[in-house]
Amino acid sequence: MKILGIDTTTDVLNLAITINGVMSFDFMMKREGITHSAIMIPTLKNILRITEVRLNELEGIAVSIGPGSFTGLRIGLATAKGLAFSLSIPIAGVNALESYALRWKELPGILCPIIKARKGEYYFTFYKKRKNSDNLIRIEDYQCMDWFGIKEKLFKLDKSVFIFGYGLTEIIENNETNQYPNNINFIVRTKSRCYIIALIGEKKILKKKEK
Amino acid sequence: MKYILVTCKEALEKAGVILEDIDAIAVVNGPGLKGSLLVGLSFAKAIAFALNKPLIGVNHIEGHIYANFLDNKKIETPFISLIVSGGHTSLILVEEIGQHKVLGKTRDDAAGEVFDKIAKYLDLGYPGGPIIEKIALNGKKDAIIFPRPLTKTSNLDFSFSGLKTAVIYFVREKIKTKEKLQIENICASFQQAVIDTLIHKTLSAANKYNIKNIVIGGGVAANECLRKTMLETGKLNNIMVYFPSKELCTDNAAMIGVVGYYKLSKGFSDSFDLDVFTG
Ligand SMILES: [Zn+2]
Repeated sequence: MKILGIDTTTDVLNLAITINGVMSFDFMMKREGITHSAIMIPTLKNILRITEVRLNELEGIAVSIGPGSFTGLRIGLATAKGLAFSLSIPIAGVNALESYALRWKELPGILCPIIKARKGEYYFTFYKKRKNSDNLIRIEDYQCMDWFGIKEKLFKLDKSVFIFGYGLTEIIENNETNQYPNNINFIVRTKSRCYIIALIGEKKILKKKEK
Repeated sequence: MKYILVTCKEALEKAGVILEDIDAIAVVNGPGLKGSLLVGLSFAKAIAFALNKPLIGVNHIEGHIYANFLDNKKIETPFISLIVSGGHTSLILVEEIGQHKVLGKTRDDAAGEVFDKIAKYLDLGYPGGPIIEKIALNGKKDAIIFPRPLTKTSNLDFSFSGLKTAVIYFVREKIKTKEKLQIENICASFQQAVIDTLIHKTLSAANKYNIKNIVIGGGVAANECLRKTMLETGKLNNIMVYFPSKELCTDNAAMIGVVGYYKLSKGFSDSFDLDVFTG
């Protein structure tokens, strides 16, 4: 199955193509002063060219539904709807925090994905891994707090916890995170994550087809 | 966002057209609210890209001008266009199809906006235009002399906030002196002040550029009193005056399609990096 993933959660435009559950291409782009709207279709065009996937070969569209920038999400969702409608293919909405967490699902401990929101706040939640399974269980509500609030929650955990996501560099720069307890780990490696959205989307679409 | 797909499907169904039959996608990219514009533009771009059809960005105000072509294909250029609604009051010179020059616009409230604000102040309801128009039928248009803003200057801009204040002061004074408020007369006189101002400015524009065609559009163009007075004034001055049918005065997407049609027939289309503009 060829799936297009679209992620406009943040000010980075992230598109990906997966083929039969494997990442084919994942591309991130940020250009100062230019909206996702202006670069969306030109970028998509390039990705299709690079992967040699024809538009009408796509079998599904997976799109991030947030939490995140309201304007960005609208652009992503409207584009996904337009493409899915024109190509008569299914569309699947994917939670961005869940897609971030799945990216790091091999880590031994609680996963805490974050996404920078407005006014110094961050969307976040906690996941843990189900025993003998690849699936994650969300153990908190989706929330939005400033770093102080999140830190308080982290300090209450006695197990290993891994924090990653969008806006993390800023947190590390502005807080003395190196003095935090040893069980609190930060993963700052920036990595494209949109292919995960495409993979989750593919699973959802296949599940729907079975029904 | 929630309705865009359903509405699109319904439009195709009612028109008896399938998506593949569409020759081009025309979409408003401004002026308006950024969030809504982006939804429409992104959706339109995706369809145009997927179907390999031309994309045509349309200015919302342009749509109001060309709404006239849905009813009347024989309008000749050059013409002066007055676009008057809750969001705009603009005079535009259309020298040729697709060639526009803004001659003047409102410096504060749009004409439709003052109707709404006065109706709200008088506790008459919303939208103000049709309500005031209806009440004005039973009033005398020359009962109170409200100002006709900027009619004594040679520029082609509008300003309606002074008129709004004048009406409010008038009402306040009546309340203070405990005189009976003659709402019908207030509505009729206020409406007349707006209409006189609009007609005066439009006619000035036509005279200044020596143009014999006037094309009106926008929600306020549905006002019967404006239509009648404007047509009479046109006749007196040997100028052809065009109005769209009333249902095409208010915001609609057919008018956007019409602009798309004319632009496409001139060989015009936009690239996919087209962006929205708000003001
Ligand atoms: Zn309008």
